This record gives sequence, structure tokens and C-alpha cells, in this order.
Amino acid sequence: MDIQLDHVKKSFGTAPVIQDLSFTIAGGEICCLLGPSGSGKTTLLRLMIGALPADSGTIRFGDTEMPDMAILKRLGFMPQNDALYEDLSAYGNLKFFGGLYSLPKQALDARITEVLAMVDLTNHSKKLVKNFSGGMKKRLSLAIAILHKPDILFLDEPTAGIDPVLRRKIWEQFQSFKAQGTTIIVSTHVMDEVVECDKGALLYNGQLIEYDTVPRLLDKTGSGRIEDLFFAASESEARP
Amino acid sequence: MIQLAKRVIRQTFNDKRSVMLILVAPLLILTLVYFLLGDSDYVATVGIDRGAVPAPVISELEQQELNLIDLTAEQAEQADDYLQQHKDVDAVLRFPENAGMAVTLYEPSKKGATAMGEIQNAMAAINPTAKTDVSYVYGTADQSTFDSLGYVFLALFSFFFVFIISAMALVRERSRGTLERLMMTPIRRGEVIAGYTAGYGVFAIAQAILIVLYAIFVLQLSNAGNIGWVLLTMVLLAVTAVSFGATISIFAGSELQVVQLIPFTIIPQVFFSGLIPLDLIPYHLGNLSYLMPIYYGAAAIKGVMVYGDGFAEIWGHLAGLTGYALVLYLINTQALKKFRKL
Repeated sequence: MDIQLDHVKKSFGTAPVIQDLSFTIAGGEICCLLGPSGSGKTTLLRLMIGALPADSGTIRFGDTEMPDMAILKRLGFMPQNDALYEDLSAYGNLKFFGGLYSLPKQALDARITEVLAMVDLTNHSKKLVKNFSGGMKKRLSLAIAILHKPDILFLDEPTAGIDPVLRRKIWEQFQSFKAQGTTIIVSTHVMDEVVECDKGALLYNGQLIEYDTVPRLLDKTGSGRIEDLFFAASESEARP
Repeated sequence: MIQLAKRVIRQTFNDKRSVMLILVAPLLILTLVYFLLGDSDYVATVGIDRGAVPAPVISELEQQELNLIDLTAEQAEQADDYLQQHKDVDAVLRFPENAGMAVTLYEPSKKGATAMGEIQNAMAAINPTAKTDVSYVYGTADQSTFDSLGYVFLALFSFFFVFIISAMALVRERSRGTLERLMMTPIRRGEVIAGYTAGYGVFAIAQAILIVLYAIFVLQLSNAGNIGWVLLTMVLLAVTAVSFGATISIFAGSELQVVQLIPFTIIPQVFFSGLIPLDLIPYHLGNLSYLMPIYYGAAAIKGVMVYGDGFAEIWGHLAGLTGYALVLYLINTQALKKFRKL
């Protein structure tokens, strides 16, 4: 299922955050949103999932215009902040969110065991989240996002604060989700992660300055460093 | 909805302070109120100059529950100075020439009123025609303030503690981002508030039963009606409190701001709950009480506990409370559109 954005605009007050964006994310790909902080990555993600209404323009998943309850069931979302219930255990958080997707109890319990193992939290499942470290919270948040086996996964900086070993494991997971047909849209600061993706969308001041396959993006830089594309953008902006 | 209610219950149990606030704090404060407003067996002290007081008056005063202290003629004459220097004496009684009786009190206070009451009893005993027989349609003369105002606290507690906890939980849900995440699941907007109400409703029922049993059987609060209606009113109040808390949480950015809003949300309600007689307030300001959910609850509880009312008499108040809760529920459901248009 493709995700099509058509002339999407969003401003907070008078400050435009997303300026007339149109592009299509092909189903089954991993697309990363890249950009400096404040470039509108998080806003764009939230517009796509329907957490924010766009000022104008449309967002379609396949033929369905968002927001839509049926599509919502097939979405997984991992917000940038952890968004966990601190007074519940890891298991309690998973049980609650899983329950909202009305999975049968036994299937849910089996799935919870499975995702806890994926994010390496099996031994901490009974611990209250308020006693978790930052990295553990991040992993639990990811576990919640993938709990109901979504077809489309939105991840807002999923690996920030996670150590390199676990980060590699998580990306292996993402690749295996992709192999199963999941579309993944991931925002990131970490330029190393770009090579794991199929497409890269470069956001700068709410505008899409580049959208292409990752190998072609790397070609354009000449140096093999994606950052250079942003430097070029900021220089061209400085020259009126 | 059930999922959300279960989560709220589990979450509250995991936070010991919330459980204490709902179940222990009301009992603690009610006990304090009981001692503060309860009967005291205070015996007032009255100073008299025996030489200047007619003998029958003295003998009647001695019959009353009073401590009499002998003053010199000079001390009685300078009653103000004497009372200022002797704080343990509540009143000075004199019979000045060509004026009936003069009582000087230190300040308007409950102690002074006790002294005054006993002096008047003595006077009534001397002159039986001045004796007044007071009777009440409801209640009795020897009721303490706790007996006549205790019901207000039942209403206040069922509202206040649930309000605080639910408003804070919802503010936290907004600021931590869990609400946004929740709205990205197929849950319906109405279910969010309904789930919260159901979850805290369970605590509200436990709290109502605990408070009512404690007030009536341990603190001996007088009750003329059916406890069932009191419990129902308290649970309805708590349900309204959850919706009220949810609405307030829209205007609060943090838990601290919920506390900062208390002067606007809770304190006016305390004044209009029945602690102060509403028909004495000038400019018809007493009508403001119809805006306050606690008023409906307190009025219904008063009806049952003081007048022995049943459903036929209190249904109007219960309907007011239910209407209030429904309006707030709709506002809250609309407010969630900010997170998801559906």
C-alpha cells in the first residue's frame, strides 16, 4: 500500500512547519526522513498517521484518505518521547496496548513474549517502567509499536539512546519486517542508518529538498556523506 | 473501554500515594473535622461581684454548668480591663443601677456563646414566663456542628480526591504523549473518557462505602434516611469529578497547573456546597450554586441524611448531577478531536 502525500501544508500559528509537500512512499520499502532538528520530521510523521490535521492537502494510504479507523488498526507508531505508563510494568503496558487491538488473550500473551524477546526485555517484564533506564524505555516503546504486527510502521527516532550492538539487532528486525512486506517510515538523526533504507527524504525547513533512492543520494553528495546535501541547501538559502 | 478501565485500576494500585489519597485521606480529614466541629464539654467561667448581684440570680447561676468567680466591685466595674488581664474568664456579669443586666465578653466566640447560653438559662429559671421552649422539625437541639454539617464533607470528599487524581492522571497522559499514542490505536474517543470514568468509578464506590460506614458507625454522624441513596449520590459525584478533572486537564499543561487551578475549580464549590447558608448570600449570588456539581450532591445527601428523603425528593438533584456529568463527557470527547479527528 503506497502512501501518497499531495500538497500537504501545516503551520503552527503563523510559522509554517511543512510547506507544500508532495511525494509517494512505495509500499514495502523502508523510507527514512532525514533532516536537522526543527526541519519538520516529527510533524510530517504525525501528519501522515493523522495525529495532526493538515491545513491543506491530502494524505492517502492506497485509495483511502486519512484519517481512517480501518487503516489505523494496521498502523504502528513509535513516538519520539517514550509515551509509556510509568506506573505499569513492561508487561502491563504491552497488555494494555495489545488489548486495544482486541487480540484474543492467548495470542496476545504469546505475542507479548515474542516482542519482549525481540527487544531484549524478557527479564524485565515485571518491572515497573518508572525503574527503567532510558534505553530500556525506548525498547519497550518499540515493542508496543510492533505488538499488533502492523503493515505500516512509523518510527520517530527509534534508535536514539540505544547502544550500537542493540541498534544493529533492531535494524535486523526492521529488515525482517520489510521482508514480510511491512512498510517502514523512520525518522533519524543518525546518518549511518540511512544506508539501511531504500529511500531517503531530506527535509529542510519544512521543504523536501531531496527524495531519492539511497545509493543515488549518496552519488549526489560526491563525498558519500549525506550531511553535505544539507550544507548545500543551507548555502543556497544564504545566497538570495 | 474495559481495557482502559482495567489499566486505570492497575495503575492506581501501583501508585500507593493515589490509593492513600482516595481511601485513607478522607477518613483522616473526617476524623479531624469530627473533633473540630464535635461537641465539647467546655464549662464557661463567669465573673460576678456577689455583693452587687441579687441572691436568687446567684443561686440560679450556681445551678447551671458554670464556674463562678468572685470579683471585687472595682474589678466588675472595669470589666474590659479585667477580661483582658484574665483570659481564663469568659464573661463578666453585672447589674448596673437602673439598667437590667450587663454582660461583657472578651470577643465574639464559641466560649462566649457558651457562657451567654448558661446565663440565659439561669435568667429563664428565675422568670418562668421568659422560658422559651424550642423544638425543631428536623434534628435536635443538642446536635453538634458535626452532626448538622457533616454531610457537606461526605460530598466534598467524594468529589475532591477523585477530581485531583483523575485530573492529574489525564494531564500526565497528555504531557507524556501516551494519549497521542492511545489515539493512534482503534479506540473510540468516547471510550477514553468512559474508560477513565469506569476505572475511577471502582475506586469511587470503595471510597463512598468506606467514608459512609466510617462516618455513620464510627463517628456516629446522625442519619435520618437510607444509606443507599447517600452512596449512590457519592458515586455519582465521583463520576462527575472524573469528567470535571478531564475537562480541567485540557486547560492544564502539567500536574502543577492542576493544583494552581484549584482556587478556580474547587474552592468556590466548597463555599457553595452548603457550609454557608446559601439563602443569606446577597444579590442572589446563592443561585451560582446551580453551576457547581458539589451543590447537587451535597443537597441530595443533606435531603437523605437530615430530612430522611428518598428518591422521590432527591431525584432532581441526582438528575442535575447526571446532566452535569453528561455535558462534561461530551466536551471531553470533543476535546480529544485535537488528537484525532475521528
